[in-house]
Amino acid sequence: MSAKKERVIPSEYIPEVGSHVETIDGQDYLITNDAMYTFYQRTKGEFSPFFLSMRDDKKLLGCKCSKCGLVRVPPFLTHCPDCNFAPTEMIEVEQVGVMNSTPPITYFATSLFQHMAPYGRGRVIFNGADTAMSVILYTTTGILVPGIITKGTEVKLIFKDNRIGEMTDVFCVPTTELTQEQVNKKGLQESEIDWESPVEPELPEVSDKDVADYNAALKEIKSIIEEMNANERARKDIAGWKRDILIKTMGGRFAISIDDGNIELEERELTSPDFVMVCENPRTLLDGLAYRGAITDSVINKKLWISKNMEFNTIFKLDRMARSVARSKKI
Amino acid sequence: MSKRVGIVGAGVTPFKGTWREKTYYELAQMATREAVKDAQVPIQDVDAAFYGIYNDIFERTAIPEHAIHGLLGMQNKFGIRITTGGATGAYTMSAAHAYLAAGRFKTALVLGVEKATDCFDFSSMSATPEVIKSIGWSGDSFFEQPIGWSASDSYAEVVLAYKDEHPEDLKPEITAQISAQLSQQVRDNVHAQRQFDQVTAEEVLNSRLVAYPFRELEICVYSEGAAALILAEEDTARAISKNTGNPVVWITGVGESNEHSFAGKNQKDMSRIMSDHDASHRAYGMAGIEDPTKSIQIVELHDAFVHQLEISMAEFGLAPLGNADSLIEENLMTPGGKYLVNPCGGLIYCGHAVGASNIMSAWSARNELIKRNLKTALLHGTGSTIAQYTACMILEHE
Ligand SMILES: [Zn+2]
Repeated sequence: MSAKKERVIPSEYIPEVGSHVETIDGQDYLITNDAMYTFYQRTKGEFSPFFLSMRDDKKLLGCKCSKCGLVRVPPFLTHCPDCNFAPTEMIEVEQVGVMNSTPPITYFATSLFQHMAPYGRGRVIFNGADTAMSVILYTTTGILVPGIITKGTEVKLIFKDNRIGEMTDVFCVPTTELTQEQVNKKGLQESEIDWESPVEPELPEVSDKDVADYNAALKEIKSIIEEMNANERARKDIAGWKRDILIKTMGGRFAISIDDGNIELEERELTSPDFVMVCENPRTLLDGLAYRGAITDSVINKKLWISKNMEFNTIFKLDRMARSVARSKKI
Repeated sequence: MSKRVGIVGAGVTPFKGTWREKTYYELAQMATREAVKDAQVPIQDVDAAFYGIYNDIFERTAIPEHAIHGLLGMQNKFGIRITTGGATGAYTMSAAHAYLAAGRFKTALVLGVEKATDCFDFSSMSATPEVIKSIGWSGDSFFEQPIGWSASDSYAEVVLAYKDEHPEDLKPEITAQISAQLSQQVRDNVHAQRQFDQVTAEEVLNSRLVAYPFRELEICVYSEGAAALILAEEDTARAISKNTGNPVVWITGVGESNEHSFAGKNQKDMSRIMSDHDASHRAYGMAGIEDPTKSIQIVELHDAFVHQLEISMAEFGLAPLGNADSLIEENLMTPGGKYLVNPCGGLIYCGHAVGASNIMSAWSARNELIKRNLKTALLHGTGSTIAQYTACMILEHE
């Protein structure tokens, strides 16, 4: 994340002043660009110690009831309603915990959260706490898919390098993806973790038939990619986008390169692709590109793996291109 | 001794993905006009108004009901707005019931209305992302909103936690079959947003995963529309009924429960929807229902997601917790089965015009009780983060 000055509302989301007319059954209706906006200098009030210690000291605080001893993390109250409002006191808890239940994963986020999708959001009971704290969840192994983090998975709290005193200052990853030293370290930071060694799924041994199937599928993929490249709508879907993708399947490997509207398939190995795609059966990718089911579904269903979580975005663009080509044919 | 309260009139507007032709003022009046026409009561004879409007952002104003009070003919009378997330409509009926049962008023208008798709995302040039974003402002603003809370991911949390405990339940082919069945039932609902969107179970299974494990055809669709009821205390209700010739549908049980919004010890059990359990059982208790499996014939259930419909039915005691798939596998809710669930198509096919949805469900339950000459219906509204809120009602037709 850069430290450049950011606006509370990025300017690309702000519409121009204007209006238009929509006609329904011969009647005109006036529709006006509008916004309801309110800016805040909002206090974190009694939560300030929690957010400040996260930001400045990389500590995780909870509150302990002076009567029943229940430890709530985050410390969202000052007096315990279970004990006739007995006072609580701030205590520090550990930065390792377990998932209270299996977390959902958001793949298609709204404009507010697109920059962090796909992300898991789930509840962690940190060691020393009795209640669960909602956190963002990631994996270092590649794309985040169902099954990597489930109920009972032990996770570690990771601190972002740049912290602003919000819940987005932290996230969790499974402890199995870290060294013991990292798991033990208090205040472990994002930059101390290895994000560059995704765990690629292994492909099975190939038979002659697999190679023949691969060659047949590749031919079809190639013709679809060519069709996409010639389609104006599809080209728009990848305007301003640049990616070199290495695709590994059971029968062979090839590359797809995307460059500001151009898309091309090349039968060669890439030495430094932007990301790697692995799908056992090349037809999984073929079906998606041919608009027979979404490629995003194949990713979520673990039929197609990608090496970088954030590249789900590129997969989404490929789906849109498939849709654009299909729609052009309809007309 | 509290008074008996019944439904003597009802009306709904068409539920549509977008109503470019109407503002929420006119939608509110349309439903009200239908309801007073149905009850054959002039609006001047209605003593009080109860407004169910969920989200200020959708209506783009912070006291949205103030402007409709006068144009509904309610000037100089009691008017109150209820807002409890998805459960807004059910809670609005519950509030109106309490005032009438207490003898404060003889008649009341219950009016639910909602806009949604005026919200518009100018970066994708479509409404849906902005609608979802607007609902996102409903999450806890200190601890949850900033990390991407959404209505779907919070309900998915509950469904996934239920599946942690019961991995064999809520099978994809069963949720798909329920959705397909609802799409058949909606055919008879002329006000539904998706009246002619019949789908097969296979099509549901092939629809896009929007938020795992929810597929596109297993999620309620956002709608715009309004629904209104005229409620009356016993003597007035009987007089109105005599006049219209329509039987009174009595509200014999009411129950509500709001859970903790945080999970863990002494807080929310993520694998349960205790609010559904407690609210329904409180309503059974008030109605004198000992065994709901013997009494309940119609269920108008707030199906935000098919998976949650199944869990809710289990929490109501109408299917075993852990084997909610028996709803289909043992034909409990298949056509001709023990329970008629969401004859209106539910919120997945009729649409979810939030403040109006549960009131539309009451409109449907009343119609079905009278039309099919059945006795007892259970009405349900769910809302807020992690299915925190529930309001339930028992409707009875003599
Ligand atoms: Zn206590």
